[in-house]
Amino acid sequence: MHDLQWKKIVIVILVLLLPCIPFGSSTDYILRILTTVYLYMILSLGLNIVSGFTGLLDLGYVGFYGIGAYTAGLLTIHFNLPFGVIILLAAVNGAIWGILLGVPTLRLTGDYFAIVTFGFSELVVLFIRNELWLTRGPMGISGIASPSFFGHSLSESWHFYYLVLVLLSIVLVIIHRLEDSRIGRAWYAIREDEIAAQCCGINLVKYKVMAFAISASIGAVGGAFYAKWFTFIHPDMFKFWESVLILCLIVLGGMGSIYGTMLGALLIIPLSEVLRIILPQYLMNSRYLIYGIILVIMMRLRPDGLIPFQIAQSQKNKHAQKRLFRHHETYP
Amino acid sequence: MKKGLYSCVCVVMLLLATSLWADTIYIPVASPYTGQLASFGEGVKNGALLKADELNAAGGINGNKVEIQLEDELCDPKEAASVATKLAKDPKYSIIIGHLCSSATLAALPIYRDAKLPAITPASTNVNIGKMSPYYFRNVYKDDFQGFFLAKYVHKIKNFKKIVIFYEVNDYSMGLMLAFMLEAKKLGIEILGTEAFTSETTDFKPQLTKFKMLKPDAVFIPGYAPQGTLIIGQATSMGFKVNFFGADGLDDELMLKNQNAEGLFVTTPFLPDKAGAQAESFIKAYKAKYNKEPNWFAANTYDAVGIAAAAMKAVGLKREDITKYLAGIDTKEKAYEGVTGKTYFDANGDCLKDAFIKTIKDGKWVSADQQLIE
Amino acid sequence: MVFDQSSLLLQQLVNGITLGGVYALIAVGYTMVYGVIQLINFAHGEIYMLAAFVALTLITQCHIPFFASFFITIGICGCLGVVLDYIAYRPIRKSPRLAALITAIGMSIFLQNLALILWGGQIHSFPQDVLPKIFTKIAINFSDVIVTWLEVFILCVTVCSMFILHYIITRTKIGIAMRAISQDKVTASLMGIPVNRVISFTFFIGSALGGVAGILVGIYYNAVFPTMGYVAGIKAFAAAVLGGIGSVPGAMLGGWVLGITEVLGAGYFSSEYRDGISYAVMILVILFKPSGLIGKPLPQKV
Repeated sequence: MHDLQWKKIVIVILVLLLPCIPFGSSTDYILRILTTVYLYMILSLGLNIVSGFTGLLDLGYVGFYGIGAYTAGLLTIHFNLPFGVIILLAAVNGAIWGILLGVPTLRLTGDYFAIVTFGFSELVVLFIRNELWLTRGPMGISGIASPSFFGHSLSESWHFYYLVLVLLSIVLVIIHRLEDSRIGRAWYAIREDEIAAQCCGINLVKYKVMAFAISASIGAVGGAFYAKWFTFIHPDMFKFWESVLILCLIVLGGMGSIYGTMLGALLIIPLSEVLRIILPQYLMNSRYLIYGIILVIMMRLRPDGLIPFQIAQSQKNKHAQKRLFRHHETYP
Repeated sequence: MKKGLYSCVCVVMLLLATSLWADTIYIPVASPYTGQLASFGEGVKNGALLKADELNAAGGINGNKVEIQLEDELCDPKEAASVATKLAKDPKYSIIIGHLCSSATLAALPIYRDAKLPAITPASTNVNIGKMSPYYFRNVYKDDFQGFFLAKYVHKIKNFKKIVIFYEVNDYSMGLMLAFMLEAKKLGIEILGTEAFTSETTDFKPQLTKFKMLKPDAVFIPGYAPQGTLIIGQATSMGFKVNFFGADGLDDELMLKNQNAEGLFVTTPFLPDKAGAQAESFIKAYKAKYNKEPNWFAANTYDAVGIAAAAMKAVGLKREDITKYLAGIDTKEKAYEGVTGKTYFDANGDCLKDAFIKTIKDGKWVSADQQLIE
Repeated sequence: MVFDQSSLLLQQLVNGITLGGVYALIAVGYTMVYGVIQLINFAHGEIYMLAAFVALTLITQCHIPFFASFFITIGICGCLGVVLDYIAYRPIRKSPRLAALITAIGMSIFLQNLALILWGGQIHSFPQDVLPKIFTKIAINFSDVIVTWLEVFILCVTVCSMFILHYIITRTKIGIAMRAISQDKVTASLMGIPVNRVISFTFFIGSALGGVAGILVGIYYNAVFPTMGYVAGIKAFAAAVLGGIGSVPGAMLGGWVLGITEVLGAGYFSSEYRDGISYAVMILVILFKPSGLIGKPLPQKV
């Protein structure tokens, strides 16, 4: 235990000091990749609430991500609100849509739920693409002002690195608190057995909708940061593939486990860039071919994810828990 | 066997050594080479590599070897931004060719701008690109220019009265459509209807069925050739005979394979039968190397690399100087003469080129009998 | 004008039935695999795409006549499905379902990029002279409503395939074995059913049908390209869920419902929201009938 604590401290210090390490001309490149990694950590932590904690396969998470990005983009373009306000409004808007999606889909299970969420995210993207009066459609929204604090506008890579780190820490703290709370336990109970949970007096409607709302608002926060960081958003950024990618992260990392999902993001997101660097030019065309093979092999070697949930939970009686998880493969 | 291995190692060492000692000028060409839009990137890649070969055969840039560095970004803005960041701060690069999709270009643009790195896009047509950065140039039309031009052409020369528009839901196509509609309204052309399609679809019959009932004089397809040829083919198969026309997106070898595309006319920056020896030798060299006809992506990229090389030849490798040189190409007299005609830039870095109309006759692209001279 | 309207509707219905038939063929592959091992086989769309490419290569490069290549391709695709199952899905059959899902996604990315490298990214088309001449001829021309022989052929092939499939599932021994496995894998194996072999067979049939769809679409729209499987796969998956996933007649019905809604939506409502209309209908059906059009409701575990 003591050992683990030390490791944690070392990792935190490394993460904090990273922008100070000079990598020469590729500093920005490395920082950008890491910023992307942290952004995807936020997103996968958000998705993990619905898919990991509550056990519902959500294939449309990118819908909330897009809603957040466009909320932030439009608010900046039209009203130029401060960053904190924008993040809050994006989170609220995400939560509203999460509830709107959550309420009608309450009684759906398994793949039916998955396909409805998928349809929802496709409708969101189609709306963004076609309603020119609001979103400027396929022209995208360009020139979104960077966030500014006390009169200083963020522009350097390390500014955004720390900004996303702050957001990630906030999300992490919230999720940690939730996991250990009554709410988190209610979610686990719902995942393990809905009927049993209901019998124990857990209000299914309340806790499921709560999971949706929180998950969606985290997705929207990710989107808002993305819009402010990129200064440009476009409907093509929020395609179905993004949902699949985020899902890959949490499955690969270990469904339901907080550190697992983060590790998943850390390994998968830079993969395409790493392949770009290590592959010679003539193999450039096979970059995603290799990406696909790596996904297959990783799943073959660690089908329960890199940090499976039961190990992440530092509880006694691991054995019984393991049996429980094997038995209830209700998911998706 | 062992000998072979040794000689291999020697050759590799030699190559490494030469690449270390001789100054090589790297020109990154960013475009999708994998993923859904890889077909567009193929032309870009081929055009760039062909130009580099020719430059090297002619002694490189001031004696330095040119090497094209292909940067794949799948037309994904996120990847484009990563590529841009990777390139921007590296002093090795003095100019970028790319990106292809407007969305990718717009994502990469602020990064190049902050690094004061000049870039030429051979294919992004979004109207905003030029305005947003003094370091971004393009040797392709803006969306709106061709739309205005086509409306005038069909009104004055073809005398079409009723037109329907079949557009793709992307910025290129919609920009063209909006400009066309604006001009058409002024000229009194009636737009009977507009229908949309997405790039992923191959089924255009529901929309075409609707058009068929409207009985228009012509169908305007402001899209790309892969979909264009399918649209024309499907229209013919359902007995919908009508005139088709489009912009440079349809200007592709692919259309010639379609027997039903006879009579299609499009805008183009250059006419092969009038473009002169340079274009002819380009087409010949391209065919010899890749065994197919060049499309406009290839031609534009070929010229973009040419412009970049000309700039480096004239003023060296400093980013500032190259930008200044490119911004200085602002009149027809100073224009770069490439295979796509004369290219020069306006104050925003958008290219100014003459537009011509070409048409398919007996399975070949030829210049239209009547041109619109403004 | 009234006449125009009705012939417009008829023509759109013809378009919708053809498109829906293709969706149904692909959806059947999804639903069969789902029925036996509860896996959303994301790579199924890629098999459909590979079929079109294989047929194209056989016809243009190897100069094999159309109908011969048609059957060879179907065979190749079936085998490909079996190989896919053998190398990718079988080793992780006992793992959580989501691991298999990610594997399927990985295989899908792999196959799509493989096709991209082998055949290049541009749209390929079948040369007109290699296809039977009759395909382009008009079968029915009834007051501007045009049906080509190709459309008739597609409809016939779709319906025939479905009847054969229905026969296999309900009347043959292996079909019964498939249904037994879909009920309960463990019990089925206790009854002496070779579970893995039956699953392989399911993959064979499903992929072969996907292959049929791939060839038909390839010649109907005359466009073959590496990413064609993506959208078609998603739509077919939606069709399978719409009909009730796991149910073969459901997949057929779902395919047609989706195809016709999509075409009518594009024709009468808005072509910008063409895909949106089909997804919206799908969502509504599922919300009001959570197990799909003719699917069995999932048993509640207590």
